[in-house]
Amino acid sequence: MLLLLPLAITWFGAVALAPFDGRRRAVGVVAVGVMVAAFVALVRLGITVWTSGPVEMVAGDWPAGIGIRLRADGLGIAFALISLGVLLAALAYEVLGGVHERSLPSLVLFMSTGLTGVFLTADIFNFYVFFEIAMTASFVLATYGKQVGHLRAALTFMVVNLLGSVVFLAGVASLYHVTGTLDMDGVAERVNGAPTASVLLIAVLIFVAFGLKLGLFPFHSWVPLVYRDTWPAVAAMLSAALANIGSYGLLRFGAGLMPRELSLTASGLIVIGSLGILYGAIQAVSPRTAGEVIAWSSIGQVGYILVALGIGGPVGLTAAVLYSIINSLNKLVLFLAVGLRGWLVGAAFALAAFSVAGVPPSAGFFGKVAIFRAGADADRVPLLVLVVVGGALSLIYLFRIYQRDYWARNHAAPPSPLGARVLVLVLACGIVFIGLWPEPLLALSANAAAALTGGGS
Amino acid sequence: MSMSTILTRTITRLIFLPTLVTAVAVLVKGYAGAGDGFSAGVIAGTGVVIQFLAFGPRELVARYPSLRRAPLLAWSGLLLGLVTAFAPVIWGDPIMTLYPRPGEDVPHLGLLAFHTAVLFDAAVFLLVFGFIVSVLGTIGNRYGSEGADS
Amino acid sequence: MILALALVISVLFGCGAFLLLKRDLIRMAGGIILISNAANLFIVSAGLSRGREPIYPLPAGERISDPVVQALVLTAIVIGFGTVAVLLGMIYRTYTARLAKAVDEGDETGRTPMSMPPEDRVAD
Repeated sequence: MLLLLPLAITWFGAVALAPFDGRRRAVGVVAVGVMVAAFVALVRLGITVWTSGPVEMVAGDWPAGIGIRLRADGLGIAFALISLGVLLAALAYEVLGGVHERSLPSLVLFMSTGLTGVFLTADIFNFYVFFEIAMTASFVLATYGKQVGHLRAALTFMVVNLLGSVVFLAGVASLYHVTGTLDMDGVAERVNGAPTASVLLIAVLIFVAFGLKLGLFPFHSWVPLVYRDTWPAVAAMLSAALANIGSYGLLRFGAGLMPRELSLTASGLIVIGSLGILYGAIQAVSPRTAGEVIAWSSIGQVGYILVALGIGGPVGLTAAVLYSIINSLNKLVLFLAVGLRGWLVGAAFALAAFSVAGVPPSAGFFGKVAIFRAGADADRVPLLVLVVVGGALSLIYLFRIYQRDYWARNHAAPPSPLGARVLVLVLACGIVFIGLWPEPLLALSANAAAALTGGGS
Repeated sequence: MSMSTILTRTITRLIFLPTLVTAVAVLVKGYAGAGDGFSAGVIAGTGVVIQFLAFGPRELVARYPSLRRAPLLAWSGLLLGLVTAFAPVIWGDPIMTLYPRPGEDVPHLGLLAFHTAVLFDAAVFLLVFGFIVSVLGTIGNRYGSEGADS
Repeated sequence: MILALALVISVLFGCGAFLLLKRDLIRMAGGIILISNAANLFIVSAGLSRGREPIYPLPAGERISDPVVQALVLTAIVIGFGTVAVLLGMIYRTYTARLAKAVDEGDETGRTPMSMPPEDRVAD
């Protein structure tokens, strides 16, 4: 019952709001209210999970192993919380600033449904189904703004991600072929009995699929194109909430279902991740629009997640979860701040930029420290240098935007609504607050990583 | 349009009702043989698509004005499906539990079994049919108004 | 049988990938459709086994074919159907937006936004 509550709230909310005109303020406020309710339900579920272990339910009252299993564990809860939180913030921002299209509130709720479902399922095919619900909502959301540029960005986004979905579907089908089950625990158990070569091929398929979603280094080419042209709030939803599917998927399928293949390819992942960190940071330094710089920056940032995943072990996985969460928060604030004009916004942008660079006392500092610690534990000195260099580069490119957009700008442009500006500043202060009191987040990610290493349960 | 000859118009007019009857038959028959809500929805939707091709958007809407309400149909299908899926949770059963449970008696009317799975399939049928027709309507209506301009 | 299916899947996927690389949006949509159908066939192939239909009561002692892949592929087809509808709707919106833009500004390439005239596309 508790497990289904967040899913039910967002799903029914999405359907109930679908016929109404989302441009009306009341509809937007109701949508925000629905999201708050879902978030509270999720926190309630999270408390149960943290105190008394995973909660699960088999749909349709089928015996376990036959029916579709829904399960909430530490990892799923952590990602569901951050994704729902990001969507809630982006939706509130858009409602405060004025919604332009009637379908926005309902689509955001559909996307929340898909994301919650993805993170709370224990069945690989059900994972795909919820994933597609979230993707389809995001395809329509990406057209938000309705100008030719938005439409072009949306088409690029859609074609690339449809290809990613097809690759993932092929991966799911092959996992079923190899193990004969779709249940995650069953897959984790039986996959070791299968020939390594074929499982490795499947692992690569799934890695490519999630790499595409996440915008990892060799699959990144769509990211700058799309984030440059989408609406800021939508870009925040896509990059800070939807992309979590990619990092969650890598963690769940890599570390949870196919740990043997993960350790086989670990050094490869670290190399790809490091290249991504450098390449993203260097590309971001060359002058471009703010959206593009943040897009390149995010290509670099997900490199850190991949490196942490490659290092593995409880320390590495904790770092990966922690970094994903903090990265989502940073990108949320950066993208939202870019869409606004007026005072307070520059401060919010600067705070998020410090967090991306890993300057204390922002939350990003602990993300970097976690990666640093994982690298030190694994005795990988080049990695430590890389973390520092990457941080320094990110400070450079983000302050170029700051300089251009907040110092040199003539203040002729009318300032954005005060509510949206305050919201962004509050979010940015939240990042600093997490940096000052990081223990809950550290415990949350350690708990999430423990859900992976503890035998996949 | 080239599809609109006297032959195609007559035939499509003749097959519209049989298509809908077939769709409902496929929906109902799903509990004794091959068939389900999705294929029923696709069959009924195809029936409308053929009408669209033969008559064009404007004449089609003039003939069947209720087709404009298709989004409502899709919406109610979605809602009905969600309610069927989530309702068992209210009295403590897992999501998607269907009633009557295995082993219990299923009330019949002739060969039609009253099972909540039928309700769910009807929801799928409404959703699919409504979705097809409303997509057709979105593209068709705009196309129709453009045609009038040029 | 496996070989034939593998060939069909690879040909479908290859044609889809080829179409996807075209600049024409409708061909691109065609490419996506072919590729997603290649994936559907791939799912079917993942549970390919000959046997009786898996409908209760099961025939004793006989092989039955795997029902799970049928369910999976049906779901995948439905999802593919939905996404393709969204894709086509989006292409249509791009087309009308570009048409409006081209009429406003004069199209710099001298071509219509998509190579086919609208009548043929809708009637096909």
